[in-house]
Amino acid sequence: MDCVELQQSLAEVEDGSGVEQRAHLRACPACSALVQELNLIVTAAGELQAADEPSPRVWNSIEIALRREGLIRPQAKQPVVASFATRWGAARWLVPAAAMLLLAVGIYVRRESQPPQVAQQPHVAVPLANASDMDDADLIQEVADNAPAMMTQYRENLRQVNESIRDAQGVVDESPNDQEARRSLMDAYQQKSMLFEMAMDRSLP
Amino acid sequence: MRPGKGDLTEPRQQQGTESSEAELIERAKLGDAEAFQALYDKHKRRVYSLCLRMTANTAEAEDLAQEAFLQLYRKIATFRGESAFSTWLHRLSVNVVLMHLRKKSLPVVSLEETTQGADEDSPKRDFGADDVALAGSIDRMQLQRAVNDLPPGYRTIFVLHDVEGYEHNEIAKIAGCSIGNSKSQLHKARMKLRDLLKMNRAEKAGKSRVG
Repeated sequence: MDCVELQQSLAEVEDGSGVEQRAHLRACPACSALVQELNLIVTAAGELQAADEPSPRVWNSIEIALRREGLIRPQAKQPVVASFATRWGAARWLVPAAAMLLLAVGIYVRRESQPPQVAQQPHVAVPLANASDMDDADLIQEVADNAPAMMTQYRENLRQVNESIRDAQGVVDESPNDQEARRSLMDAYQQKSMLFEMAMDRSLP
Repeated sequence: MRPGKGDLTEPRQQQGTESSEAELIERAKLGDAEAFQALYDKHKRRVYSLCLRMTANTAEAEDLAQEAFLQLYRKIATFRGESAFSTWLHRLSVNVVLMHLRKKSLPVVSLEETTQGADEDSPKRDFGADDVALAGSIDRMQLQRAVNDLPPGYRTIFVLHDVEGYEHNEIAKIAGCSIGNSKSQLHKARMKLRDLLKMNRAEKAGKSRVG
């Protein structure tokens, strides 16, 4: 067996443990190094398994889809959970606040889509984003008090969705006629609204 | 076979989780949001890593991981527990990715069938001559980048076999190729990776000499 034959035979016997392979490897340092290096690659490949973490966006999208499709259903009974008012206290206003936020964005997007007003670009969503930051802090505090295990996840989700809102808002400001950007902005606000909804849903009896 | 093939459970969660997973599955069947999320948290890294490795694209990998979980959750009511949940999810994820690659007209495997041939990846006489040796260990990030640079056909077989631990006969069924083709592709993928890793090391060595 020569070097080329050895290399071809490695497709069949990967580790070079065949009788003829071993004989050649004993006599050939180059082929021996080759086999060692291939084995090194195989060993290192195992470390690529489960090495990466998806962004929170993935779960958010899955949860939104599951709710839309009715696969996630409101649970009939959660005995450990207190009533909505008891559990959320001062944060009860978050649901109407989220609804108002969505409504305001809806009005904003609708107004933006009217052709004569395209040239004038009011920054309606900027104060909303600021207001929503305040809401975020309150929501995080509530989650920290009532479901501490979920706090990190919520904080990260909110950070990502606020980032998306800022990005999309920036593009809409630059290109008022960009329908895709406007849709992205609306989607981002919807995701934020969904986050609020999910938080409240978990707290409901 | 590499341990853990088809088992998507996070390594630290592998022991003593069978009953809790069965419980989560039953709760998910009833539409429990937390159960869905707990199952996702348990398996997300393996599913996402598989998708990322096979597509070499973060956005595509996220979309495919999402699609795999959604398909699974839509069918979860039919899960009877004959096979491991993770095996089911793993196979489904592979199918989602392969379907995606086919839709993009990317080759799942190369068309050539044997280890013989005169193409650019055929065995060369000058291998390992005087180039940089891959001594010691291979950095995970370097290997990851090299895998991303593999042609899609090679990448699929390498990921399924060397990363995910599938056997050649299983890969042949999944990817729709012959066992010989799977073996040939794997060998060429490893050789290509070796070249890529060596090039990378040589570039680094060159830079450090210049610097």
